Amino acid sequence: MPKNVHIKCPESIEGVKALADYKNIIKQLLFFNVPPKDETFILKERESEIKELQSEEEEQQPKKRREKGKIRKITNPCCDNNTGKEGNGGNGGEEDKQNQGAKSPTEVSKKLSDNLEYMKKIYSIPTNGDMVLREFDIVVKNEVIPAFMIFFDGMTDRKVINDNIMQPLMLLSNLDIKSDEQDVESFVKDHILPHCQLKVEKKYRSIIDEVNFGGCALFIDGVETSFVADVKGWEHRGVERPNTELVLRGPQEGFGELLRVNTALVRKTLKDEDLIVENISIGRRSKTPCSMLYIKDIANDDLVDEVRRRLKSIDVDYIYDSGQLEQMIEDCALVPAPQILATERPDRVATLLTDGKVAVMIHGNPFVLVMPATFPELLTSPEDTYVRFPYGNFLRIIRGIGIAFALLLPGIYVAVTNFHHEMIPTDLILAIAASREKVPFPSVVEILIMELAFELIREAGIRIPGPIGPTLGIVGALILGQAAVAANIVSPILIIVVAVTGIGSFAIPNFALGFAFRILRFGYIFLGAMAGFLGITTGLFLHGLWLVSAKSYGVPFMSPLAPKVRVGGYENLLARAPIWKQEVRPDYLNPKDTRRQPKISRGWVQKKEGEDGNGGKQD
Amino acid sequence: MAMAENKIKFGKWEASALIITLIITQLILGFPRLMVETAGTAGWIVVLYVTILALLAFFIIEKLYSSFKGKDLLDISERIGGSILRILVGIIFLAYFIFIISIVLRSFAENMKVITLQQSPISYVTMFFIIGMIAGAYAGIEALVRFCAIVMPIILAGLLLIFIAVSPHFNFENIFPILGTGPIDIFGKGFLRVSVFSAISLLFFITPFIKTHKSFRTVGYVSIGVSAAFFFVGTFAYLLVYPFPIGVEGFLPVYQLSRLVEYGRFFQRIESVFVLIWAASALIYLSSVFYFIVYVFKKTFKLEYYKPLILPFAILIFNISLIPPNLVTAVELESKYIRTYVWIISFVIPIVILVTAKYFKRGTNKEEKKNA
Repeated sequence: MPKNVHIKCPESIEGVKALADYKNIIKQLLFFNVPPKDETFILKERESEIKELQSEEEEQQPKKRREKGKIRKITNPCCDNNTGKEGNGGNGGEEDKQNQGAKSPTEVSKKLSDNLEYMKKIYSIPTNGDMVLREFDIVVKNEVIPAFMIFFDGMTDRKVINDNIMQPLMLLSNLDIKSDEQDVESFVKDHILPHCQLKVEKKYRSIIDEVNFGGCALFIDGVETSFVADVKGWEHRGVERPNTELVLRGPQEGFGELLRVNTALVRKTLKDEDLIVENISIGRRSKTPCSMLYIKDIANDDLVDEVRRRLKSIDVDYIYDSGQLEQMIEDCALVPAPQILATERPDRVATLLTDGKVAVMIHGNPFVLVMPATFPELLTSPEDTYVRFPYGNFLRIIRGIGIAFALLLPGIYVAVTNFHHEMIPTDLILAIAASREKVPFPSVVEILIMELAFELIREAGIRIPGPIGPTLGIVGALILGQAAVAANIVSPILIIVVAVTGIGSFAIPNFALGFAFRILRFGYIFLGAMAGFLGITTGLFLHGLWLVSAKSYGVPFMSPLAPKVRVGGYENLLARAPIWKQEVRPDYLNPKDTRRQPKISRGWVQKKEGEDGNGGKQD
Repeated sequence: MAMAENKIKFGKWEASALIITLIITQLILGFPRLMVETAGTAGWIVVLYVTILALLAFFIIEKLYSSFKGKDLLDISERIGGSILRILVGIIFLAYFIFIISIVLRSFAENMKVITLQQSPISYVTMFFIIGMIAGAYAGIEALVRFCAIVMPIILAGLLLIFIAVSPHFNFENIFPILGTGPIDIFGKGFLRVSVFSAISLLFFITPFIKTHKSFRTVGYVSIGVSAAFFFVGTFAYLLVYPFPIGVEGFLPVYQLSRLVEYGRFFQRIESVFVLIWAASALIYLSSVFYFIVYVFKKTFKLEYYKPLILPFAILIFNISLIPPNLVTAVELESKYIRTYVWIISFVIPIVILVTAKYFKRGTNKEEKKNA
C-alpha cells in the first residue's frame, strides 16, 4: 500500500524538485518500504466482554449470554470514567480557546478609545462594508458613559439588537432602578441588558470569535470586560425534504444548514438525556463549529475518544463541507467505498446512534457523517425498516440485483460475447450476432463508447442550468438510443445493457458508493475483455480483498460478514428480520449496552400464565 | 510488523472456511477421477476410508497438540531441535508448498485454457493467477481468511447445485460391482489417497492466529468433515453419472458434470458459471498457499518482514510452473508423486515432531510453563 506516499508540494514547482518527487514516488511504489511503526486504531472488545468470552469458553455454556428476556445491564467500569472524560473533553475545548486567547496581544482595555482603535484595526473599518460599529452613550445612575457596539450586518438579527440591547441601554437606563449597585459592569449586566444569551468576555480573541459568528459585542468606557450577546439571525434554508435519500414511508424531514437546527432535529427524534452533543471547532481560520453526537451509555468509549482525537487533530485553515471533513478523518483514501456514512436524514442518524455509532455534524452542511460505517450498511435504505419486513426484504433483493448489474453487467456482456458464446442459448446468440453484424467495433470499444456517453450525460445533467435541462434529455435519448443504433455504431442489445446498468446504479442507496461502483465498472469491462470470466473473477477477488482488509474506525469494513461476530448484526444484514426480532445491537461496534429489546418485545403475544418465551418464538 | 502480525487473530469460522476452501480445491482439480482410477466403481468407498484415516491422523495430532497451544510447527521444532531443526522443517515444508503450488498453478491455468481461453498462451492465463497470488499475499492472512469466510459458502453452494442439477443423469447401476477393482485397491492403494487432505497441514501453521486449542480442534474436525462430505457427494455423483470406463478418462470431473446440466431450452450449458467458482477457489488456494510460503520462509529464517519476499517468490513459482512441457506431464507429476507421498509431509512429519516434543523433551516444556 502506498499509504505513506506524501507528496510534499514544493512552493515553487521547480523542475528538479518535481523530478525528485517523482523519483521518490516511483521508489515508494515499486520498492519495499519499511512500514511505519505506528499502531492503527482497532476497536477492541470491552473488558467485560472479553471476560464473558473467556468464561464462556471455560464453562462451555454458550447459551449463558441469552438469559430469559431480561435487558442485560452491563455494569461497565468505563461508564464512570466516561463522565470524567467528557468533562475533560469539554474543558479541553475551553482550554484551547484560552490558549488562543493568550496568543492575542491584549485583553479588553479600560479605556474605550483603546478598544475602539483595536476593533477598527482588527475589522478594517471602514473598509469592511458589512461591519456595523455604533457609538452611543448610556446613562448609569445619572452618569453619562460612552460606549460602542460592533456586529456584522446580515448575520445578526436587527430587531433583537434594537429591542433587547440598544433600547434598554439608551432609554431604559434612565428609569429609576431600585438597586444599590455601584459597579457599572454588574449594573449593566444585572439590570439593564434583558437579553438572554449574554456572555462577559475579557479576551479580544473570544470576543472576535463571537462577533464573527453572529454575535454583538458591547464595550463600555471604564469597564474591563465586554458584553457579547448572541444575536445570530442570518438567512437560511428551512427544514426541507432530503435531496438524496427519499423515502415513501417515513419522516420527510432533512437536515438543513444550521448546526443547531440539525442537532435539534436529532434530539427531537431521539429524546434521551444520554445523547451527548459535544462542540468542537475545526479550522484555524474558519473555526467551523462542529458537533459530535453519541449516546453516552451505548457508544463505546474508545470509539468516541478516537473520533474526538481525529477531529481535534485536524489542522487546516478553512473547512466548509462535511465532504472535506470526511476526507480528513477517514481511514484510507484508496478503498473503493466510503468508510463514513453521510446522510441527510435525522431519523437515520438517530437510528445509527442507537446502534452505538458516533455522528459528526458540521455547520453549514446538511450532510451528517456517521462512523464507523460497514459495507452492508451502505447498501441499506432507511425505508427498509419502515415498511413491513417482507416488503423491506423485497426492496433489498431488488437493490442487490441492481447493484450487481451496475458493477458487473457490462463486463459480463463483454466476457460472454468474446469468450463464452456457448453460455448463450442458440436463439439468443443468433439475435445478438445479427444485431452486431453491421457494427464495425469490437464489443469492448462499443460498450466503452456507450458507457462514456452515459457518464457524460449524467455529469452534464448535474451541471446543466435548469431551463435547458430537458434539452439534454432529448439529445441524450436520441444519441444514446435511436441514432447510435441507426448509424450502426452500436448494437441495440448493447443499448439495453447500458440502460440496465444505468438503472441499476441509480438503485444504489448510497451516492458515494455509487461513485465507487461506477468507476470500478470500467475495470470489470477491461478484465472481461482480457480474459472473460477468469478476468472478472480475478477482479472480484482483488476487489473483495481490498474491501475485506479495509477498516472504518477500527471496525472491519465487511463485518459482520467477515469477520464473523458472535451475535448481533445479522438481523439486519442482507435480509432483514422482523423488527421485533432485532434484539441485540451489532456486536462489531462493541457497544456498552448490547441489548436493544428483550426477547419478547411485543408484550401482547405472551399470555399471562406462560413465561417460557414460546409466545415470542411462534411469531 | 512482527508484533502486529502476532496480534492478528481470527475465529473458528474464518479458519474453517480457509481450510475447507483449500481442501475442496482437490475436488475441482480431478479428485473424483483419481478415486475412480484407484478403485473403479468403489471410488466412493475410498473416500470414506480416506476420511476415516484423515480423522484418525488428525485425532492423534490434535491430542499431541494439546500441550502446544498457540504454537505452530516451526515453534515446536525449534523447541526440540533448536534453529537447525526449525530451518530443516521449514525447508521441507517450503519445498513441499512451492512444488505443490507450482503444479496446481499450472493445472489450474491449463484447465482454464482448455475450458474457456483456448487461444491464449499459457503464460498469459497464468498471469491472472499470479496477480491474484501477489495481491493476496500483500493483503495478508487476515484479509484472505475473511474473504474465504464470505466466498466459501458460495463455492460450496455452487458445487452442491451442480451435483443436484445433474441428478436426472444418475444411473444407480454404475456403482456395481460394489467393491470395484477389489479390496486391495480400496484399502491398499487407497491409503495413499489420504493426501487429498494434505492442505490440513496449513492448519499447523495458523495455530498462532487461532489461539485456543479448542478452536484448533473444532477447525480441524469441521474442515475435514465438511470437505469429506463434499468429496463423497462429488465422487458419488460422478460415479453415478459416468460409467467406470468413461469415468477414468474424465479430464475435469466436476466440469464435465456441470456440462451436463440442462433444464429446458434456455438453461443449458451453464458451465461458464462454473468457471467463476473454479477461478475463485483457485485464486484463494493459490494466494493462501503462496502467503504461507512467504510466511514460513520469513518465520524459518526469522526475518522481520515478509513483503519483500513476495515478488521474488512469485517469479520463482511462475517459472517453476512453466517447467513441465505440457499439462499431461504436470498432472502426472501431481498424481504420481505429490498426491501419493504428500501425506508423509502433512501427517507423518507433524506427528513425529509432536511426539518428540511431547515425550522426549518434557523438561523444556515444564520449564517454559514455569516461566510462563
